[in-house]
Amino acid sequence: MLTGAFTERVRSCWVEIRENLGRSVLQTLGVTLGVASVLGGFSISDSQRRHSDEAWARRGGFDKLNVQPAGAVKDGTTPSALQNANLGLRRADAASGKEAGGSIVDAVSVEKFARARIRSSYADQERQITGIGADYLAVNGYEVEQGRALTAEDVAKAAPVCLLGAQAISVFFPTGDAVGQTIRIDDVPVTVVGVLKEMVFHWRASEGNVFAWRNRIVALPATLVAERMQGDPYHRVDRVVFKIPDIDVMEKFSGVLTSTLKTSHRLQDDFRIDDIAARVKKRRSQGAVYNMVFMLAGIVSLIGGGMVNVNIQLATLKERVREVGVKMAIGASGREVFKEFMTEALLLSGFGAVLGFLLGVAFSKTITVVLEVPLYMDPKSFIWAFLLALIFGFLFALYPAVKASRQSPMEALRYE
Amino acid sequence: MNIIETQSLTKTFGNNGAAVHALRGIDMTVGRGEFVALIGPSGSGKSTLMAILGCLDSPSTGRYFLDGEPVEGLSGPDLARIRNEKIGFVFQNYNLLPKASIVRNVELPLLYAGVSRKERRRRALELLERVGIVEKANVLPAALSGGQRQRVAIARALANDPAVLLADEPTGALDSKTGAEVLDLFAELHSRGNTVVLVTHDAHIASLAQRQVELYDGLIRQAEAA
Repeated sequence: MLTGAFTERVRSCWVEIRENLGRSVLQTLGVTLGVASVLGGFSISDSQRRHSDEAWARRGGFDKLNVQPAGAVKDGTTPSALQNANLGLRRADAASGKEAGGSIVDAVSVEKFARARIRSSYADQERQITGIGADYLAVNGYEVEQGRALTAEDVAKAAPVCLLGAQAISVFFPTGDAVGQTIRIDDVPVTVVGVLKEMVFHWRASEGNVFAWRNRIVALPATLVAERMQGDPYHRVDRVVFKIPDIDVMEKFSGVLTSTLKTSHRLQDDFRIDDIAARVKKRRSQGAVYNMVFMLAGIVSLIGGGMVNVNIQLATLKERVREVGVKMAIGASGREVFKEFMTEALLLSGFGAVLGFLLGVAFSKTITVVLEVPLYMDPKSFIWAFLLALIFGFLFALYPAVKASRQSPMEALRYE
Repeated sequence: MNIIETQSLTKTFGNNGAAVHALRGIDMTVGRGEFVALIGPSGSGKSTLMAILGCLDSPSTGRYFLDGEPVEGLSGPDLARIRNEKIGFVFQNYNLLPKASIVRNVELPLLYAGVSRKERRRRALELLERVGIVEKANVLPAALSGGQRQRVAIARALANDPAVLLADEPTGALDSKTGAEVLDLFAELHSRGNTVVLVTHDAHIASLAQRQVELYDGLIRQAEAA
């Protein structure tokens, strides 16, 4: 290094490459395509995943466990006395689940859906109302725009308060200023205490807002819905959601929850636990399979390009036998000759990789524009693609470089 | 001390059935500062002997001491080092690297010897000065005449201050006038103390040497003082 032997090698390789531009372009082409395909493939699948993660984040994360009621009675059979006496999923299950989970449960929420007639000074509609627990907003990714959220106290006391989604506001209070106003839900006067921020997410830019229905929400304390609107002393709910930030303990918690719930449900399987994280993880591992496919495609083009390189290098070796002989005669060792050939091959791979980056970025950009998904490129993809290019560049340069370095100087000099 | 000393050097090409005995026992010495011409008709083994003396090839049997060091059994990297440090080749067809400038051509042996960049450039320019074409340092070999190219080749051969200059028909590709100039350069190098072994088939050129060694059928026919 001190003698500048490396710079000198790079310099003479550069001269060689410049003098044989056509050949060098052919040599880089395989690498370029391989790198572009690895980078493009990774980036497209990363972009898609990023985008769907974004969707999950918007609806409160995928670190959730949903429990829903399920039919314990098989079709065509007569329900047993136990099954008839069973009450199904109740609000109390949320509390006992949280207790069973302890500190691993970050939040828990219930949902009770009902239909009701809603009246304000501007509109009179029958629509769905949602009875919720205090943690509901956080668990589902809602944010309060004006006013306040429901408190645990509201829920405990079945306070006649409600939150309205953006679409509900536009229907019931088209002029704005909803907070503090009263609406009638069935015959119960309820005070609007908060307005929720509009939720927006597009799978594709040209497609509609997939969260539009979430903006229709009219949320009340679950207790209020049960006691005043449905007259259900058991507080049956349609869904209990546990938020478990540590995804690794999710499965364990799911087991604990199953046994806890079964115990309080007279050993009936009248609920269904849906492990969202497991579902997402599974999808991710499918994503990993796609990545493997993309990487394989890249490797195949690198191998193809590599074989072209070997051919070209062997052909040029014939042209350069004499040059190698001269260098050896004036004192270049086989090692030096090897290094010179290797430097050239790696330099070409490097160029190919850089061109491949450009092509890969262009490729990913095009595809993501077509898919209407925001482009996300992980720096790791670049590193991967570059490493693959260098590894294959090295492997395929090995044979010609060794062959050149093993040349007998005597024969090389005589070669015409 | 002798720069070159060989003892019953033989070289056989091919295997037993169709073996060609190119050299059949060469005993030869070249003293320090000598100017020796190696002559002989084609097929006499001149080139083979030259290759062995130049450490481009190894003898089949026999011993070879170069500058006091036995080299007959050395392996590739060691031979490369010896070629680099102790031998300066001058070829009939110059064998300059066509894509490197003159000065880079001369720097090459210094590069392989591990000389620093600055020192390389300084020595290369000095050598070009000595052979009289320093003003062309940055042009490519193709821009030079044959005689000028051969001067560059000689400068390159001298780069690491070798123990011996081996010149294989150095004037073979030149017209008689430029050939004579190149030979003058060899004579001058000899007068400055360089050891020169010159291979030729031209009796006139050989007569310029101090001593002639004539090869015939792989053997030395006679060694006469000039």
